[in-house]
Amino acid sequence: MTESLNITVDRRQGLAVIYTEGYINNQGGEEIAKAAYKLLDEGYKNILLNLAGTKIVNSIGISILIEIIEKMIEIDGKLGFCCLTPTIEKTFHIMGLAQYAPIYADEATAVGQMQP
Amino acid sequence: MEGTGRAVGVTAQAWDELLALSRDEAGERQMMERLLDLWRREHGVEAAGLYLERAGAFQQEASAGDGLPLMLDGGRADHLGSLEFPGGRLLFKRGSSPAGPEPDGAANEPLTLLLASALKSSRLKQDLKEQQFQVNYRVVELEALYDVGLAVASTLDLDRLSEEILLRAVSLLDARRGALYILEDGRYRLDRTFGGDAAPWFAGGDPELRRFLSGGGEAPAHLLPGTRYLLGVPIEVESGPRGLIAVGDKESRRGVGPFLTSDRRTLSLFANQAALALENARLHLQALEKERLEREMHLAAEIQHQILPKGAPSVPGYELTGWYRPARQVGGDYYDLFVREGGRVGLVVGDVSGKGMPAALMVSTLHSALRLLLDQNGFGPAMLERLNRHIGESSASNKFITMMLAELNPETGALQYMNAGHNPAVLLRSGGAVEELKAGGVPLGLLPAARFQSRAVTMEPGDLLCIYSDGITEASNPEDEEFGMGRLIDLLRAERDRPLADLIEAIPRAVGEFSQGLPQGDDQTLVLLRRD
Repeated sequence: MTESLNITVDRRQGLAVIYTEGYINNQGGEEIAKAAYKLLDEGYKNILLNLAGTKIVNSIGISILIEIIEKMIEIDGKLGFCCLTPTIEKTFHIMGLAQYAPIYADEATAVGQMQP
Repeated sequence: MEGTGRAVGVTAQAWDELLALSRDEAGERQMMERLLDLWRREHGVEAAGLYLERAGAFQQEASAGDGLPLMLDGGRADHLGSLEFPGGRLLFKRGSSPAGPEPDGAANEPLTLLLASALKSSRLKQDLKEQQFQVNYRVVELEALYDVGLAVASTLDLDRLSEEILLRAVSLLDARRGALYILEDGRYRLDRTFGGDAAPWFAGGDPELRRFLSGGGEAPAHLLPGTRYLLGVPIEVESGPRGLIAVGDKESRRGVGPFLTSDRRTLSLFANQAALALENARLHLQALEKERLEREMHLAAEIQHQILPKGAPSVPGYELTGWYRPARQVGGDYYDLFVREGGRVGLVVGDVSGKGMPAALMVSTLHSALRLLLDQNGFGPAMLERLNRHIGESSASNKFITMMLAELNPETGALQYMNAGHNPAVLLRSGGAVEELKAGGVPLGLLPAARFQSRAVTMEPGDLLCIYSDGITEASNPEDEEFGMGRLIDLLRAERDRPLADLIEAIPRAVGEFSQGLPQGDDQTLVLLRRD
C-alpha cells in the first residue's frame, strides 16, 4: 500500500481546475500530467491546479510539473497553482515553478485571474 | 549517398528560416523539426526523429513525419534506421520506398551534422536544466533543514511537529513510504507512518535494528512491510536516542531503487535537527503537564479546604476539637464535626485511598452524600449501606474509603458509632480503662452489598474519645518502627487533663519527635471529644 493521489477535474468556461488529494510523487505527477494533457486535447489552454488536498510533493513530482509547465508554454497556454501549503509554496518558488506558473492563495482569486 | 560538403536541396529560403529559428530560443524545437523535415525529404524517408539518451532509454526530442515512438528502450527498433550521435541518435523510418540513406554516407552530410549539433545543444540544455534542478533541490533540502531548525523555537505542538518531520523526510528523500518512532520506556513506539503500515514497536536494544540504523545491516523485515529498499537513522540528542526515522523505496522516473550514500547523510542531518525540535516540544509538553498538575493540586487543596470544618461546634458539657495536616498539598483524609437537628453531634474521620484531585473529588462526594443521607435516613446501618453503594457507584473500582463516624446525644452521653474499616477509635475512660471502637463493617466502596452495624457506648464525665487516621499511628522513625496505638494511648493517658486545644497539638508534636525528622508519610487527622 502506498500513498496514492486522487484527482478530480472541474471543467468550466475556458478554464479547467484539477483538484489533487495525496502525494505528488512519480505516480501522482503522472496522474496530473495525464489529466492535464487530456484537457489540452479537449482544447483547454488554461489549467488551474488546486493542491488543497496535497501536503507533500517530491522532486520527481516537481519535475513532472515542470514538464507540464513547459508543455503549456509551448502551446501558449497558462497553468496556475492555488491553495498550497507554505512548505510546497516555498519549494515551488525555489524550484522555479512560480516563475512560469503563478501561485494564488485561493481558488476564487486564481479563477478571477485565469478565466478568460 | 555520399557527403558533398554542402546542404543538398536546402533552398535559400529554408536557410533564412533556419537562421531566424536559431536566433529564437523558443524556436529550438521548431528548428529541429524543420531540419528533420528537410533531412527526411532529402533522403526520401517517411519520418525522422532526434532522440536523447537518458539512463539507457531514448526519448524523442523532435520529429518530422508520423509513426516514430516517443520513447525507445535500448534505442533500437528493427523497422527503423539509425545514425549514432554523441548523446543520442537520429532514427528514421524508410516507409515503402526501398531507397534510403546509407548511415555511413549520411553521417557526414551538412544537414546531418546540423542535426547532430542541434541534438548536442539540446543535450547541453537538458544537462544544464537537470543540474539547475539538482542545485535548486539542494536548496530545498537546506531550507527544509533550516525550517525544522526554526521549528525548534516556534513549534511546540508535538503532534504537528512529528507529522511535519515525517512528511519532509519522505519528500526530501523521494521516498514512497516512511515511519517515525519515538523512544519511550525503553522501546521504539510507532508515532506515525506515511504510505502504509509499519511495525508498531521495536525493543530499544534490538540488535538487528541497531545495525540497520548504523548503516551496517539489513532493515528488520517488518519495519515497513512491502518495501524493497529502506533507509533509517536514529533521532538522537546529547543525552541519548529519542527515536528513529525510516524511509522506504526511493523513487525515480523509472520506478523505485535503493537510497544513495548521500541520502543517509541528508537524512541524518535532518534527524539531528528533528531531534532538537522534538526534544524542545517534549520538554514544553512536560512543563505544561507539570503546570496543569500544579493547578489541579491547587484546586484540589482549595476544594478540601472548603470542605473541612472551620472550627468545632460548641457543645455544652463537652469539649470538642479537630485537627488535620495533609502529607502533601492535597490529602485523602477527611473529618467533619457538626450539630444535627435535635442537637445531636456528628463526628466523622475518613481516609480516602489515593491522593490529589481524584481523592479530593471523592472526599467532596463523601461529604455531600453523608450530610444528605444523614438528613434523609438518620444515623444507622441503613444510612451507611446507602452511602457505601453510592461511593461504589461514583468512584473507580480500586478506590475505597475507611471511615469512623459517631453520633453523640449530648444530654445522655450516648454515643452511637459505626466503623467502616477504619482504625479503631480510642475511648479512654475516666478511670484509665481503654475501649477500642471497632464495630461497623468493611471500607466503603469495596462491596456494594456490604452490611454494617452500629454500636453504642456512653460517654461518662471525664471520658475522652480520640478518633484518628493511620497517619498518626503508622508514622515511623528511622529504625522503621511505627508510632503505634500503644504510644497514642500512653500519651492520651498522660495528657488527658490538659485542655483539648493543647492535647491536640501535643499528639502531632509527639509523633514528629518520634519520627526524628523523617518527612510525614501520610495525612494525619485527629478528633478529640471529652465530657466535662
